[in-house]
Amino acid sequence: MPQASTISVLVVDDQLTMRALIRNALQQIGFKDIREAPDGEEALKNLLAKPANLVISDFNMPKMDGLALLRAVRSHPPIRQTAFVMLTGRADRELVQRAVQFGVNNYCVKPFTVQGLKEKIEQVFGQLT
Amino acid sequence: MIGRDPHPDDASGPAVKVHVTQGESHVSSDPNVVMTTVLGSCIAACLRDPTTGIGGMNHFLLPDAGDRGKDGGDAVRYGAFAMELLINGLLKKGARRDRLEAKIFGGGKLFDGLSDVGASNAAFAERFLRDEGIPIVSSSTGGLSARRVEFWPASGRVRQRLVAVDNAPQDVRRSTPAPMPAVSSGDVDLF
Repeated sequence: MPQASTISVLVVDDQLTMRALIRNALQQIGFKDIREAPDGEEALKNLLAKPANLVISDFNMPKMDGLALLRAVRSHPPIRQTAFVMLTGRADRELVQRAVQFGVNNYCVKPFTVQGLKEKIEQVFGQLT
Repeated sequence: MIGRDPHPDDASGPAVKVHVTQGESHVSSDPNVVMTTVLGSCIAACLRDPTTGIGGMNHFLLPDAGDRGKDGGDAVRYGAFAMELLINGLLKKGARRDRLEAKIFGGGKLFDGLSDVGASNAAFAERFLRDEGIPIVSSSTGGLSARRVEFWPASGRVRQRLVAVDNAPQDVRRSTPAPMPAVSSGDVDLF
C-alpha cells in the first residue's frame, strides 16, 4: 500500500481559496509534499522543472485550462506518466469523455468531501496509508 | 425564476426579473435584467466587471461556516464552490477576473440563538473575496432584518429594502441551508 506522505502532488486552481481547501484536504489524507499553481501554464512550467507524482487540477482556468494542461502533460515524455485527477465544478459528461481520451486518471466533481477525494485518489494509487 | 415586468426606472424596455433563490447563481449583461432575491441569514454576492457590464448574483447559506477552521470543513468548501460557480459564469460570458468588484448583502440574525450563522456567512464571503483579490465596493450585512435586494448587472445598481422579520417570507424566516451536493450525486464516474 503506498504511503500518501511519499506521493508528491501539484494542485492547480485559479482560486486561492480552492487551492487552500484542496491542500487542507490532502493534508488530512496524509499528503505532505504539496505544491500549487494558479493556472495550467504555470503548472506545466512547474512540472517540467520538478515532476510530481500526482496532479489535481481544476478545469476552468485562465491562460491554459485543465484539459489543455492534461494534453500538455501527456505530450511531454518526462512527465507523461504523471497521475492526473481533474477536479471541477462541471459535471459535464462530454468534458469527462474528452478528458478520458486525453488520458485523465480520474475525475471528481466539486464540491468534494475529503473522503470523496481520497477515494478518487485511491482508485489511481491503491489504498493509501 | 424569470418574469417580465415594466420597470419605472428603466426607459429602455420592460425589466426582465430573475429571482435568485438559495443555491442558485445567475449571470447576465442584459441592461433590462434585474436580479432579485430575499435574504435572511443567507448571503447574496453581486459580482460585476464594470468595463463589460457583465454581472451576476448568487445566494447561499452555509451552516456554521466559521466553525470548522480556516480551510477545513464541508461548509467552507461548499461556499467556495458557490462563489466559484458565479465567478466561472462571469468569466465564461467575457468578464475579466482582475476587474471584478463585489457587493454583498445578507447575513442577518433573524432570531435569537447562541450561534449567529448570518455573521459567519458574511465573514466567509468577506474573507473569500479578500483572499481572491476581489474588492468589496459596498455591502450591507448583519442586523436583525431580512433584506429584499435588486441588482441590475449591466449598470451595477443595487436597491435594498429592509424587511421586518414578521413580514419576511416564511422560507426566509426559517432559512435552512440547501443540501450540499454530495460527491457521488453529481459525479460522472467512468472508472
